[in-house]
Amino acid sequence: MTALAVARATVLRALRDRTALFFMVLLPVAIIVVIGITVSGFDRFRVGVVPAPRQGPVARELVADLRSDTGLRTRVFGSAGDARNALRRAELDAVVVMPAGLDEDVRSGRSVAVPVLVEPSGNAGHSAVSTVSAVVAGHAAKLQAARFAAQEAGGTFETNLDRARGVERAASPIAVRAETVDGVSEFLPLGYSYSTPTMLVLFVFVNALAGGAAIVQTRRTGVYTRVLAAPVPSRALVLGETAAYLLLALVQSVLIVGIGALAFGVSWGDPLAAAALVGVWALVGTGAGVLAGALFRTPEQVHALGPSLGITLGMLGGCMWPLALVPGWLRTVGHAVPHAWAVDAWTELLSRGGDLGAILTDLLVLLGFAVVLLTLASLALRHRLTTSDRT
Amino acid sequence: MRVVLSIAAKDLRQRLRDRSAWVIVFVAPVLIAGLMALAFGGDTEFRADIGVVDLDHGPAAAGLTQVLTGPELRGTVRVREYGDAATARRAVDSGRAHAAIVVPAGFTRALRGGSPSPVVVLDSVDHGLEAQLARAVAESYVAQVNADRLSVATAVAAGVPQEDVPRLAARAALLRLPEQVRPEGMADDPLEVISYFGPSMGIFFVLFTVGFGARGYFAEQQQGTLDRIAAAPVGRGALLLGKSLSTFGYSLAGLATVTLVSWLALGARWADPVGVAVLGLGMAVAVVCLTALVIAVARTERQAEGLASVVVFGLALAGGNFVFASGTSFMHRLALFTPNGWALRGFTDLGTGVRGWAAVGAPLLGIAGFCAAVTAVTVLLLRLRRTP
Amino acid sequence: MNDAAPQPVLDCAHLVRRFGDRTAVDDVSLRIAPGETYGLLGPNGAGKTTAIRMVCGLLRPDAGTVRVAGLPVSTAAGPAKRLIGFVPQEVALYPDLSVRENLRFFGRLYRLPRRRLEARVAEVLDLIGLTARARDRVDSLSGGMRRRLNIGAGLVHAPTLLVLDEPTVGVDPQSRHAILESVTRFGEQGMAVLYTTHYMEEAERLCDRVGIIDRGRLIAEGTPRELVSLVAERDRVRLTAVGDLDAFARACRRFTRVEGAARGGDRDDVVEVVVKDARSLLPELLDLAHRQGVHVRSVEIDEPDLETVFLHLTGTALRE
Repeated sequence: MTALAVARATVLRALRDRTALFFMVLLPVAIIVVIGITVSGFDRFRVGVVPAPRQGPVARELVADLRSDTGLRTRVFGSAGDARNALRRAELDAVVVMPAGLDEDVRSGRSVAVPVLVEPSGNAGHSAVSTVSAVVAGHAAKLQAARFAAQEAGGTFETNLDRARGVERAASPIAVRAETVDGVSEFLPLGYSYSTPTMLVLFVFVNALAGGAAIVQTRRTGVYTRVLAAPVPSRALVLGETAAYLLLALVQSVLIVGIGALAFGVSWGDPLAAAALVGVWALVGTGAGVLAGALFRTPEQVHALGPSLGITLGMLGGCMWPLALVPGWLRTVGHAVPHAWAVDAWTELLSRGGDLGAILTDLLVLLGFAVVLLTLASLALRHRLTTSDRT
Repeated sequence: MRVVLSIAAKDLRQRLRDRSAWVIVFVAPVLIAGLMALAFGGDTEFRADIGVVDLDHGPAAAGLTQVLTGPELRGTVRVREYGDAATARRAVDSGRAHAAIVVPAGFTRALRGGSPSPVVVLDSVDHGLEAQLARAVAESYVAQVNADRLSVATAVAAGVPQEDVPRLAARAALLRLPEQVRPEGMADDPLEVISYFGPSMGIFFVLFTVGFGARGYFAEQQQGTLDRIAAAPVGRGALLLGKSLSTFGYSLAGLATVTLVSWLALGARWADPVGVAVLGLGMAVAVVCLTALVIAVARTERQAEGLASVVVFGLALAGGNFVFASGTSFMHRLALFTPNGWALRGFTDLGTGVRGWAAVGAPLLGIAGFCAAVTAVTVLLLRLRRTP
Repeated sequence: MNDAAPQPVLDCAHLVRRFGDRTAVDDVSLRIAPGETYGLLGPNGAGKTTAIRMVCGLLRPDAGTVRVAGLPVSTAAGPAKRLIGFVPQEVALYPDLSVRENLRFFGRLYRLPRRRLEARVAEVLDLIGLTARARDRVDSLSGGMRRRLNIGAGLVHAPTLLVLDEPTVGVDPQSRHAILESVTRFGEQGMAVLYTTHYMEEAERLCDRVGIIDRGRLIAEGTPRELVSLVAERDRVRLTAVGDLDAFARACRRFTRVEGAARGGDRDDVVEVVVKDARSLLPELLDLAHRQGVHVRSVEIDEPDLETVFLHLTGTALRE
């Protein structure tokens, strides 16, 4: 089978190329880590805390309360200037500046204002203030109780504060209970479960495009002409190249899926559906890669345009951010690229526990993309090989 | 000098004759930055639609609604009132409201003691931040009630007789929490997404020219034109300078295009145009130094290409080109080992109203330090494997 | 030295260059007078290109000096380099620039003033017959045109010494003829030419003087006529034969009267033997061939030429 011989040669060449290996596995994993770290904790406000110099036990307790609150991602700063800079650079939603002399003021019965810095035009700033307020109020309740008890029954502030802590643990305050109504997410889970499937989609495609450069290169060295001089029909050549890049795309997918599952704890959902999705997506990528290999003139063009094209399509298709975040018309435009359907399908599998039936529409659309791309690719490549004098 | 300019002009002419180079330096960054501006532009504001169900119909419940519509949360929270919990539940489920607060019947009565039933916050998994806000508002409001109840209980624990409780409760109701949060607005401008991503994408794609430059060098070596230049009365310095100049000019043109388009068409704002220009210059110098490094390390065109890719993606990842104002403090510190990370910090500062040296001083020093280190390594390598 | 002799255009003295353990060029000295065409003849790997790279200041010699018109050549951008026109063996041009852009660029490297540059580019275009194609990109030219442009790019600054490194390797006969014609013309115009080749007939036809280089050493030098006279009493015997010709050539060399024997010429069924007196030795050679199972089809006895000289001097053939 001559197609197999062609496929074998291509796979061997690809595996010997260390740069390609970098793009195939190392780069995706590195980006998965970076994005995975970045998109965790989106459900918490980012708050900086600047402790006062020489702060007393009451102030320290408030800082500890802020740090242990589940609604806040707290970072402690050494100086107010650093914290302000971080806030200005939008690395934080708010900054709590612990007032100096908080302990003395509280003991002597004065009211203390805790300044919280926010961006006035405020994205999440004012909402972060509300969360900080809740923590501060919870802390202040004990102080109020301690002061009240000291007034009413005597005793020092400290003993009454201890007493208030004990009473608070035993008492049943009016609770605020959260109840999740809509447990079915429209998004991928945060963290690595977000970055791994999206980057799988992005990089299988980008890498397949880079494979197109190898096809252009082979075309230009005249190897194809030589192959066609042998008793090999152009059909077999196209089939062989397609099979080789499909195999490479599958190997890459399996590696990323494996690393995701083992190193980042991504659960890929229904195995049958996930396998089908990986397979169909590899076909889409291969089609795009072979098409690029047939259409471009020089490998440099593919190298230059491939990544930009891949990233742009990935952005449109929701690999960089969930399409649910963007305006409706952009979401519609996004579904003109196959990436959107693949990300939709992964969301169904990872966030909603869907099975093969649930992603059938996505799979069929992707299959459609794959068929169109592969048909165009093989037509274009055969045209190149059989009609042009300088392939 | 004429020779230097001739070499630079020749390189630029070749570069510009290559259409893919146009795409990567001028079109792609503008396109992607524009896409990001479209996706996030204007609507980076955080808004929450919060439903309220008042089953209490007392003054305490009304107070809660007042907090939600108060001056601090105006513009952030839109309140929708629902008659019963089931309607609110449906609203949250369908996404019409992000979250809802259900104030139980008897909430006002609980202020004077009695068995409290919880305030319920209905949320949905896709709106964690809005749910957090609703919870925080409810908790803050409930906190004063709880504080008063805690004060009474603590006084009783401290020895006040049980029969005094009604008197204590009345007195406690007058108390105000001794710690209050005081929000203070910062005086600077908020960072627009495009003010960051415009330069970020520009820098990312300009870093690709490291690969172009290095590959071009090896292509010249292979086709023999480098020998031809060396056979002419052209010093190595002039050759190096000419080639650097073209890379520099090319990078600068790319960065200038993206920043200009971001500014004029996409609404990016920076406090100080001179600062923007200076950061662009610094970044272009860094690209030149990196190109020289790749040429010094690699031995073939293929190696140069691979090495350049590794360098570009490594720097872009570590420097935060793909990440907007987020990530951990580790990531922020890591970025300061890269010239692009420093440049982006400079653009962030310029984008938030900082001017002059305060915004670009540290970034320039950072970039200069990086360039110095890269140059030192390059020179060392060239010394070690000098052949002619 | 004779003070009356004109200053040589090229004066190489005791050039040595080693790469690791291998000495690529070993104590080579040569001089080229104004208007002289000098051929450096030797097999592949003899050190021709290394020598040329030192002449052009592309490679620093381990020992020895190169002077062009009295000016020292170094790898730095000295004034001597202005006098040298270098034509590399490969087509060293920018494929994505036009013919004219290439010529202009290489001219600018020699700091030609603008007006003179344009005039020279026009002259060179005319000389290499590419005026009509001046606007076309190099990658659209035929192989022969590229070869001509390759030489043209070394001429824009009107060098005193033109250095051509194997300009006819891999060139079709027609282009080769054109190249040889133009080299002859350069000599007639008073340009000194240093020309390397391993085609002895080219050297014989073109060169005023020839230096024979083998294993890094310049083993003979003179006009083609002088060199041939070195082997004047010798004959070159061409045996066209079938069999293990390598073994046969080795066996021939064992005869004391045989000065060189090798598979030779442009055909692989030929063994060339240089002998003092062909007629007396021929029966023995044929007997040897018979014993070795080599079937001799024809025998020619030729007048000696440069190929004979090379065989005589090195014992082996020029083209291996």
